[in-house]
Order: sequence, then C-alpha cells, then structure tokens
Amino acid sequence: MRELLLVLNLKSASFLKGLFLLDIRAFLKVFSTLLIFGGFSFGVFFMARSVTAYLLDVAHIGSFLLHRFLSMALYVFFVTVNVGNLVVCYATLYRSKEVGFLISLPISHAKVFLLRFVDNFFYSSSTLALIGLAALLGYGSYFDMPWYFYFFTVFFVFLPFMLIAGVIAVVTLMGLIAIAARIGVRWLLGSLVVVYLSAVYMYFRTTNPVQLVGEVMKYYPDVNKYFGYLDPPLMRYLPNHWVTEFLYWSVNGNYERATPWFFLVFLTMVGLMAVAGLAARRFYYRTWLVASDVEVMRGSKGPGQRISIMQFGKRSRVAGVFLGTNPQTEALFKRDFWMFFRDPSQWLHFLVMVLLIMIFLVSLGSLDIQIDQPLMRTVSFLVIFLFNGFFIASVALRFVFPAVSLESDCFWSVRSSPLELRKLYFHKLGYAFALILVTVEILVLGSTTVRGDDKVLTAIAALCGGCVALALTSLHLGAGTYFAMFKEKNPVRVASSHGASLAFLGSMLYLAIVVGVLIVPLHRYFEISFLLGQTIPAWLYLPVGVVATISLLIFFVSTRLGLSSIQRDF
Amino acid sequence: MIELKHVSKKFGSLTAVDDISLKIEAGQFFGFLGPNGAGKTTTIKMMTGLYKPTSGQCLISGYDIHTNSLPAKRSFGYVPDQPYLYEKLTGREFLYFVGGLFHMSAESIKRKIEEAVDLFELGSFIDKRAEEYSQGMRQRIVLAAALVHDPRVLIIDEPMVGLDPRSMRLVKDTLKRKAKEGLLVFMSTHLLDIVEELCDRIAIIKTGRIIHEQVQNEAMRFNGQLETIFLELTK
Repeated sequence: MRELLLVLNLKSASFLKGLFLLDIRAFLKVFSTLLIFGGFSFGVFFMARSVTAYLLDVAHIGSFLLHRFLSMALYVFFVTVNVGNLVVCYATLYRSKEVGFLISLPISHAKVFLLRFVDNFFYSSSTLALIGLAALLGYGSYFDMPWYFYFFTVFFVFLPFMLIAGVIAVVTLMGLIAIAARIGVRWLLGSLVVVYLSAVYMYFRTTNPVQLVGEVMKYYPDVNKYFGYLDPPLMRYLPNHWVTEFLYWSVNGNYERATPWFFLVFLTMVGLMAVAGLAARRFYYRTWLVASDVEVMRGSKGPGQRISIMQFGKRSRVAGVFLGTNPQTEALFKRDFWMFFRDPSQWLHFLVMVLLIMIFLVSLGSLDIQIDQPLMRTVSFLVIFLFNGFFIASVALRFVFPAVSLESDCFWSVRSSPLELRKLYFHKLGYAFALILVTVEILVLGSTTVRGDDKVLTAIAALCGGCVALALTSLHLGAGTYFAMFKEKNPVRVASSHGASLAFLGSMLYLAIVVGVLIVPLHRYFEISFLLGQTIPAWLYLPVGVVATISLLIFFVSTRLGLSSIQRDF
Repeated sequence: MIELKHVSKKFGSLTAVDDISLKIEAGQFFGFLGPNGAGKTTTIKMMTGLYKPTSGQCLISGYDIHTNSLPAKRSFGYVPDQPYLYEKLTGREFLYFVGGLFHMSAESIKRKIEEAVDLFELGSFIDKRAEEYSQGMRQRIVLAAALVHDPRVLIIDEPMVGLDPRSMRLVKDTLKRKAKEGLLVFMSTHLLDIVEELCDRIAIIKTGRIIHEQVQNEAMRFNGQLETIFLELTK
C-alpha cells in the first residue's frame, strides 16, 4: 500500500504543480479553461432544467416516460464512457512507457493496474463526468431536491455508474488482448466495432421508444403512474436502468423504493472493482506481455504498401493530379497517408465515422419529416443542422486536433529542413478542410433531399455547412497546434486532452451561436412560405452573411494562433 | 561556414546560453564539449532553427537561420541527440521523406539510399518500420538522413550514443571521410577520445559561456591531455 500511496502522491503533486504555475500564460490558460468549462457546465445545467420542465409541464409526458428517456440517454452515456475507456486504456495500460518502468519496480502488477486505471479513468472521463454532473444538477433543481440527494447521487450512484462502465471496459480489454494474440488485432477490432454498434441497435430495438410512448399515452392524462411492467426484462440487468429507477423513486419522494437501486449500483461497482483487481492480479501482467509481443511482431508489410501509387519513390499520373509537382508536398502527403493507415486507432475510428454517416443518412431516409408547420419545420431544420455540426465537430476533434501533435518527437526532421512551417500548416489545413467539407456537404445534401427542401434552402444549408466546415477545421487545427503534445504518440489521448476539450466546447459555443443567428429568420422564412405559398430568400441573406462573418473570424483568429504556435521552440 | 554572433538564450530567468560567438570554416571538424546542462544542445537547437535565440545571430553558410531560414536549412544536415523517427515509416520511407523535403528527385534519393545502405550497413533493416529499430539502427538512419542531400555543413548532437563498437567505427570513418571532402562538421559529444581522434578544433562550454577554445593540428596535438584539460576547466 505504501508504494501505491507514494506513486499517487507523486502524481497529484506534479498535477498540482502544473496547475499553479506562477506565470501569466499558465494563469491565463487555467482561467480560460475555468471560464469555458464553467460556461459550458452552466449551459448544460440550464438545458437539462429546461428540457425537464418542457417535457413535464408543456409536453406532459409524465414522470415515467421522462425517466425512460433519461434511461436511454444514460445508456448512450454508459457506452460512450465504456468505449472511451476501452480505447484510452490500451494506451495507458499497455503502451505507456510508465507502465514498463513501474513493472520493473517491486510493485505488484495489480497495483500498477489500479494506478493506471484510475489515471486513465479520470483522464478519459473527466469531460463526460462534468457534463453528467451539470445535467444532474439541472434535473435535480427542477424537482427542488435537497442537498443530500446530490451528495448521495454524485458519490454513490453517478460516479459508481461511470466506474462500472470503466471497469467493464478494462476487464473486456484484458480479455480482448488475450484473444488478439490468437486471431489478430485487425479482426478483433473489426468484430468489436460490430459488437458495439449491434449493442446500441439492439438496445433501441428492444426498448422501442415509439411503442413505449404509445403504450403510456393510452393512459393520458394519468401518465405519472409507474408503468414498470412495460419495461422489457433485459432492462433490469442494465446499470442505466438502475440509476434511472433510483432517480425516479427519489424525485417522487419514495426513498424506500429508491434505496435498493442505490445499493445495487454502488455494490455492483464495488464487486466489479474486486473482480477487476482479481483479474488484474492474474491476467494483467500476462496480457501486458502479450501486448508487448504483438507490438514487436506486428508485420512491417502493412496493407497499404500494396497501394503502389502511394509508395515513396514512385510517381503516377493519378498521384500527380492530387499532389502537384512539388516534392515537399508529395513527401508530406505520403508520410501522412502511411502514418494514418498503419495506425489501427486512426483508420478504425475513421471507419466508425464513415459507418455513422451511412447509418445517419439511411435512418434519415426512413423518417417522415416533411412537416407542414413553420415552427416544427424550423426546429427540424436546425436539429439536423446541429447534428451535422456536432458530428463534424467530433470528426475535427478526433482527426484535426491531433494533426500537429502527430508530428511527434520526429518534428525535428521537418523543423530543420527547408520547409516553411506556414506551408506545413496550410498543407494540414487544406487536406483536413477538403475532407471535412466533402463530409459536411454529403450530410447537408442528404438531409435537405430527405426533407424535400427548396433550392434556396438547399443552397443556404450548403453554404452554412461550408462555413461550419471552415470554422471547425481551423478552430481545431489552431487549438491543436497551440496545445500540441509532441511527446504523446496516441492520437486518441491527444484528442481527449484538456486542450481538446476546450476546443470542443469552443466549437459547441460556435454552433450554438450559428443556430441562434439562424433561428428567427428561418422561422419567418417558413412562415411566409407556408402562409403565402412563396419563398422570400432575402430573409436569409443577412443571417447567412453573419454566419459567414463569424466563421471567417474564427478562421483568421485560429489560423493566426496556429501559425504563431507552430513556430514555437521545439 | 557557421558563424554565431553574440548568441544568448534565456528560458524565463534561466540563461542557458550566454553571449556565445564562434566562427567555423568549411572543412573543419569542430568539437563542442561541455558538462551536462552546459548549453550544448540549446546552442545546436538555435543553430538548426528549433529554438529562437533571445539575442544574437546564427549564420549557416552565410544565411541567418531565423531571418533567411530556407537557404540556411538547405545547406546543413542535422543529427539530434535523440534519434526520433516516425514509428510507422520504414527507414527507406523516412529517407525518401527527408529527401522530398529537400526538393530532391526520387531518382537521386534512390541513389543516395543505395549508397547509405552500403555505407551504414543498413541491410534488410531499411525496409522495416522504425518501431522495430534498436537505438543504433535509428542513429544510423538519422545519420543517413542528414547526409542524403549532400549538405555543406553537418551538425551532430551526441552521435555515438547507443552505438555498438562496429557502428561507432562506421560513423567515425564516415565523418572523417566527409570532413576530408570539405564538409564542415559541428559535433557535440562527451566522448573525449573521439574528439581527440576526429576534431581539429574544440570549444568547451560551461554554464552557457565558452570558457576554452583550442586548435589541434600537426604542430599542436592533444596527446591524451584533453580529459585533464576538460576536467580542470569544468570542475
């Protein structure tokens, strides 16, 4: 235990030292972080409170349905925490040099595991925890819950709920690594993606929200009753259901019925922690050795080497069209290409994103959203626009933010070569923008076609989509350069760092402003369109101009920040 | 030619390099010595454009590395103290990448790679990814990369770290031959016997200042005394 406390003490001391550095830049960083995180938390709090109030007081869906929707949101939250921990755990528990160092010391492997798990959990889940806590406060404040409700919920229900997701992730990872040695990493990762996507699909298929709403609404206005018999039996085994049941009975003042769920969540967490400890004692070191072997034995002939047009030293006409005749551009492009496709965490996430786009477009196609009501039409337009923006922000966070950090320790080779850093920066910005723009336009055109929008709306959506692509790409690249982590080899960890969280929150703020600018003129546009049967595009010129101006402003500020940051001492 | 004019570098209140001036001519083999933390790597990083000097000028082949960086960078090759490579690229791909950054054609890079394979005994390793390389292998690839564009100046920071005796001999012979061909070599190292064997001029730096300069030629040789001089001056 002593050695465990020693390492934890060392870590917390180095964290606190970093936090309270006495220089103006560090202070500004901490201050701006607090400001943005604070603002964001307040936004989530306010939204959670308003949504709860709207669903109960305006939509009158009743307490039971509200908590079933909450359960669905918590399921997505659980899967997100789980996947986040699964991905980051591989880097922190198996590839980190610190683990190699700790394992060489006379500390038990289970303690090394515990140390790295705690480190990993707080690193990869802190932003999600913040969102969850702010939402909980917003939800609780609607019901005027007493202070001890928050205390017990946060420490004995909410954090254990997140820990359950994290522990399941890490135990799963240990099992996966043992299997990976037999069936190969690529097959395993592919199967894992399929399993997770199926889990989400099966959950929503089993819970069937539409049918549930229909069943409950049969009893309208008596919808505040408990309709637990409508829950599919599978739900009883899911932690999100336990948390929801605890919340449902707590806000209804029935603590007697809330208590069993409270203990179920907490004791499950304790039990799983014990299981993880036992598993770690037995398997962690063994799987760490397997992971090290897999790293060393991974073949040098990657799948991409068969793509001859991208081979170094070869030049084809096709490649020439994209790369031009400049050897520097060609060298940079081919380097980035191979580094991307030889890193499973890169191409696999890319594949998942492509799959999500396809799922989104297919499910959009099956919806009937050609609504004849101006307000609902505005809402449907903006919700889909916001979803597209949110998706693009996630893509930019995952792939654009780490772009400069991926220069890694080897940045010396670029910095000492006759390559203008400005050119390197615009090379990264150019390719990232092109890819994101294409993605945005596919999403925009897909959704406008499904909605049956007129030509003006399609053009407006495409233009705004282009602005969003420009702003979010430049924002993430600029912030990614400012917060560059050249020592970090794992892009996932770069994309889940505090700098990345700040950039993501900044992009959420930008999207909220864009929606705020568009909402009233768009509503007027639809009103006139429905009432008079004619469209007046002039209503939209000014707001689109404002969106373009804000986006350009973000582009200039971010690019300036990025260009000055990339020149910093290396 | 390398010329440092009153170069200083401060990190907050710490002065890492304090008013250094040096002039090294083409064809010279220059040894840059000093104890740990003396400012050797900081000086080299300023010379290669990785650090910006707080004051002063670094001229490489007559060009200021900070105000006229591109022609300056075209003229030198650099071997850093830690031979970091892109883990996912093979040695051959890394050499193509560096050659591309120096605007070399694919044919000339290919020729230089073939030379490097022989010169540094890279063998089949050149087609394995860097993540599989040993320290010595990385060092040889980085050295090959520094020479791929036929530079006029070679700046090397601790070139012998992690090399086995055979690789060390290989590197020493290559550097000696290149210097004879007119290459200016600026080498920072702790290995005094190597400095005695290779360098025809040295400077010793301590707490950011140059405290000693000496020339080694036919008339004036160190004769195993460099260690005594170094220990005396840096104690």
